[in-house]
Amino acid sequence: MNIFKLLANLAEVDPEAYQRLSARRGVLSSLGQLGRRTAATAVPLGLGAVLQKAYGRGTKTIFDTFTLALTLEYLENEFYTQALAAGTAGTLTFPTGTRAVIQQIQAHEQAHVAFFQRELQTSGAAVLPKPNFDFTGSKSGAKAAAFPDVFTNFSTFLKVAQLLEDTGVRAYKGQAGLLMADNDVLEAALQIHAVEARHAAHIRGMRRALGANVRDWISKSDDTITVVGVTDAVYLGEDATTQALPGVLPVTFPGVASQVVTTTAEKATISLGEAFDEPITASVAGQLAGLFIY
Amino acid sequence: MSESVAPISFLARTMRRRSFFRVAGATAAASALVLTGCDDDTATVTTTTDTLALASGDAGLLNYAYLLEQLEAAFYQKALDTKAADLTPADLSGLTDLRDHEVIHREFFKYALGTSAIADVTFNFSTIDFTTRAGVFAAAKKLEDVGVAAYIGVGKLFTSSVYLGLVAKIASVEARHAAFVRDALQPNSAGTADATIIVASGDYAGLNVTMTPLEVLAAVAPFLPFTVDASQLPTS
Repeated sequence: MNIFKLLANLAEVDPEAYQRLSARRGVLSSLGQLGRRTAATAVPLGLGAVLQKAYGRGTKTIFDTFTLALTLEYLENEFYTQALAAGTAGTLTFPTGTRAVIQQIQAHEQAHVAFFQRELQTSGAAVLPKPNFDFTGSKSGAKAAAFPDVFTNFSTFLKVAQLLEDTGVRAYKGQAGLLMADNDVLEAALQIHAVEARHAAHIRGMRRALGANVRDWISKSDDTITVVGVTDAVYLGEDATTQALPGVLPVTFPGVASQVVTTTAEKATISLGEAFDEPITASVAGQLAGLFIY
Repeated sequence: MSESVAPISFLARTMRRRSFFRVAGATAAASALVLTGCDDDTATVTTTTDTLALASGDAGLLNYAYLLEQLEAAFYQKALDTKAADLTPADLSGLTDLRDHEVIHREFFKYALGTSAIADVTFNFSTIDFTTRAGVFAAAKKLEDVGVAAYIGVGKLFTSSVYLGLVAKIASVEARHAAFVRDALQPNSAGTADATIIVASGDYAGLNVTMTPLEVLAAVAPFLPFTVDASQLPTS
């Protein structure tokens, strides 16, 4: 089976075929026909490169959004699971109090995986199997590892965790508009989006407790932890200081700097960037996830 | 005829000023019934509860969000003004950032609403202990957790995808705030499951709880100097 042809079929779905459903279960049942078409084929392992190709076309359906979300949740769940296993094995040292937090975070990610698997399954759609992950970034030895000590150095582990969580928040935000056709689906996505943001903040707080210059919110004042051309897409656009209203040109806040009474204009600009998290496209999210998929 | 704020196209703002409701100051507005059809700006002191009526549609939802951001900004400002003796420098830096973000959110909604914006509100914080960091962060935790659930519950109600996108941008920052104040109150408390914020079991396990506007307004009612009539807000 030509996986590219299969994905091309996905992209050509007639959007009018999607009916609005109010029931939480079976939300994708009208896409079930599509799902059954894909479920009939065995999806090959090594889906990584193909995921990126598909996302290059942009997501068009809730099915695509759910598959992106499931990929990211598989990734995060596996990441924390491997970290906890390394802790148990004694190869990764968790400072006091941190293991319980990572366990809770992992439990949430596992629940998120189950959520998307269940939603896809009960709708008769294809459920993406778990991709192969290598969190050192070496793609199982195919290239130099960007994070060779991800599961031996707690500081590196937290850095990668932060990148993954912040990416997840931005990715969910990028998909929200596509989910407006179904209130329940949209609300569930916003519920998960909030949990990922909590995670991101807790991870950042952990890094700060260990001495890193980082806030719980994405800030221009944070020390840079990304590598140009590798992971810098994680925070690209996050320091935006203008926001757009419907029908109006991008708005800069008149007088907001003067409203923030005790700070300098420079600090007010930083705060403006911090006060809004920005979305990323499915394509960028797929590329970032793809760093760890082989 | 309802005197509540009508949805206004942001391309066609008029300069009409509706001062039917002022709270901060001596001119307390009368009940909604008296306000109906009344252009009179003069104060009418009554014994009935003051009521803020939120409009229908996206404008009503924006004012709902604006009210919550006013509340959070005022709270953090008061926390900074009081400056509890046991707040550490890191606490103060964090509270300052929190205040700054909420002010920005507040001003953003105010700008978006234009003449549809509700008036500045004077909140009732008498139930909060601002004199200890425990008091401040316990209250912050309640407000932020409610704020997170509020933004989750309101997102689906907007008809405009632009407003949904903007609200989503703010929503994740509020979730970061919530995590921050919880960690400030009790470090690593995220290591213990808390079903009041994240569903613990069942089909929605791992999802942050959601609250409808009515539920949120009931939760923040102790801080408001009026009752809110949210009956015109969209429910789906």
